[in-house]
Amino acid sequence: MLKRIPLAWLNLTHDRRRFATSLAGVGFAVLLMFMFNGFMNALYDSQLQLLNRLNGEIIIVNRLRTNMFVPRAFARRRLYQARAFAGVQNAYAVYISEVNWKNPENRKSRGVRVIAINPDEPVLNIPEIDTHRQALKLPETALMDTQSRAEVGPVEAGVISELADRQIRLVGTFTMGTDFASGNGNLLMSDQNFLRYFADRGPEEAERSFATVDVGVVKLDPGTNINRIVKTLQENLPNDVLVLARDGENGFVIRERKYWQENTNIGFVFSLLTSMGFFVGIILVYQILYTDVADHWAEYATLKAMGYRNGYLLGVVLQEALILSVLGFIPGVLVSQLLYTAAGNATGLFFQMTPERVMNLLIATFIMCLLSGAIAVRKVQTTDPAEVF
Amino acid sequence: MFKAQQQSKFEPSRDNLAVQIQRLNYFFGAGDLSKQVLFDISLELPKGQIVILTGPSGSGKTTLLTLAGALRRLQEGSLRVLGQELVGLGDRALVNIRRNIGFIFQAHNLFESLTASQNVEMAVELTGDFASKRQQAVAMLSALGLDDRVDYKPQSLSGGQKQRVAIARALVNHPKLILADEPTAALDKKSGRDVVNYLHNLSREEGCTVLMVTHDNRILDVADRIINLVDGRLESDSSLNAFVQSKTKDSLTDISADMFIM
Ligand SMILES: Nc1ncnc2c1ncn2[C@@H]1O[C@H](COP(=O)(O)OP(=O)(O)OP(=O)(O)O)[C@@H](O)[C@H]1O
Ligand SMILES: [Mg+2]
Repeated sequence: MLKRIPLAWLNLTHDRRRFATSLAGVGFAVLLMFMFNGFMNALYDSQLQLLNRLNGEIIIVNRLRTNMFVPRAFARRRLYQARAFAGVQNAYAVYISEVNWKNPENRKSRGVRVIAINPDEPVLNIPEIDTHRQALKLPETALMDTQSRAEVGPVEAGVISELADRQIRLVGTFTMGTDFASGNGNLLMSDQNFLRYFADRGPEEAERSFATVDVGVVKLDPGTNINRIVKTLQENLPNDVLVLARDGENGFVIRERKYWQENTNIGFVFSLLTSMGFFVGIILVYQILYTDVADHWAEYATLKAMGYRNGYLLGVVLQEALILSVLGFIPGVLVSQLLYTAAGNATGLFFQMTPERVMNLLIATFIMCLLSGAIAVRKVQTTDPAEVF
Repeated sequence: MFKAQQQSKFEPSRDNLAVQIQRLNYFFGAGDLSKQVLFDISLELPKGQIVILTGPSGSGKTTLLTLAGALRRLQEGSLRVLGQELVGLGDRALVNIRRNIGFIFQAHNLFESLTASQNVEMAVELTGDFASKRQQAVAMLSALGLDDRVDYKPQSLSGGQKQRVAIARALVNHPKLILADEPTAALDKKSGRDVVNYLHNLSREEGCTVLMVTHDNRILDVADRIINLVDGRLESDSSLNAFVQSKTKDSLTDISADMFIM
């Protein structure tokens, strides 16, 4: 009983239909921000999916491989050399190549990325490798990424098709996702099979052998200081390779993300689109609040005549703004979650709704509504109680 | 200004005045477009009086009411309301003055989203008395014959009932001064009469001063005094007896009727 009458809440919700429309409007603005922001993050996050699955603390690549798109390999000797250092438990090789895959249904060729490893070594954190280890050791077999684009045709065990004009059989699937370097999808196979397909692809294509490696994955003994080993390896290995910790501020994963952030317009374009969603939201909420104030102009002016101060009315409008932002955010975030799943399935990109991103957009929505409230409130402040007589 | 002899006996000081206006001029607009609407108004309203302000349209009645209600800033002259000089007061002080005045408008200006009781409680909340706000609101609504309508929203009330809720809102804090601008204009004859009767009774019980603008001749009988404003000037100021020669009312004593003839 000691509470104030919640005027903001009652005014907003009095007309149910209008309230629902208002929430839908705010929700739509939230949805726009989530989608554009989501695409931006998905484009970045997708570049890191393979990197995040490399099962080692330290990564070795050719110094000229500034990002995963650059097809530069380095001498496999470096991995043997790395194994000799104290603290290094093992050093694994990852072979990567781009090649054509024939869609078994329409016979059209599509570029895919082949990732090859020794199936007996824990090179990648992909549990399906363990499941299908024996099948992967058979000649001309591979696993296909379920997130591959529709263009590659059906993705399931038993599909028989052609890779680099040679027969291949899918013995299973795994789930990862596409990125800029993966073409239409990812194939995973054993290093022995990799040699079968890529050792001799004719005069135009580079010959691949076990002599060169695309990515080296270094596994350390438990408890070893990662940065110290990174330093030792970099100092002692020849300068043609770059040694990086996988994680951390200066790590391999962040380096890849930074490369795409700094060398593409993705960030600019999608930030622009996200802020457009933000401004659409400001205008929508402003409309809602302004209409409320305009419709109740005489009542608000009467409150002023009775002795309410501008501060109280300001509070009412800002409360309405906050209520709209919170209650509009909920449907916005729920629908976005559905659309993220749908967009992820359609594009093969990795759409992730982390708590941090949700918080950021919630704060953006607060600011959006408060800005609109601050503009709309000027209408209340200039309301002259003498005019209602 | 002439004042009756008896007045000094009963009213030794201006503390007994609810409103005291001296040599007030008021202009709308500035510079060349400036237009004077009130000319040299001097007027005293003793506590407890019901005063009706009449006059042709555009004569400045509403303007005078809003000045007395601290809703407009004074330009020339002096204006004391409930013992406080308004000249030179800041915005905050003016708002504080308003809290002691009950305003009744031609339109009821009730929030559609609030019940009758909540609309009245909005006024009580200004006093900070949250614990008993509902009781006070219900008591005031009951006094106005709305005890069975306290939890109705305005859209399910008749015009007369809405206006009574607005009056309850104006009166619930027991203001010492009530300013009403054509409170019956939007009502039919019967509900208009009811509203004026409530106002009259409550004024008598609470002892508050009422300044009411009206064009409605049927309700002049509640007035202790009738002031006529023409073209921004006080044209006449008389008791009801004098204003309507034919009518005499028992409720108006000779003293109160004759005291304030100017
Ligand atoms: N905000 C304003 N700006 C300029 N002039 C105004 C304003 N308000 C009123 N006036 C003018 O001041 C004069 C007095 O207006 P006011 O509203 O006080 O008259 P009134 O006696 O209440 O008339 P009515 O009986 O029609 O309500 C009128 O000529 C009007 O045109
Ligand atoms: Mg008027």
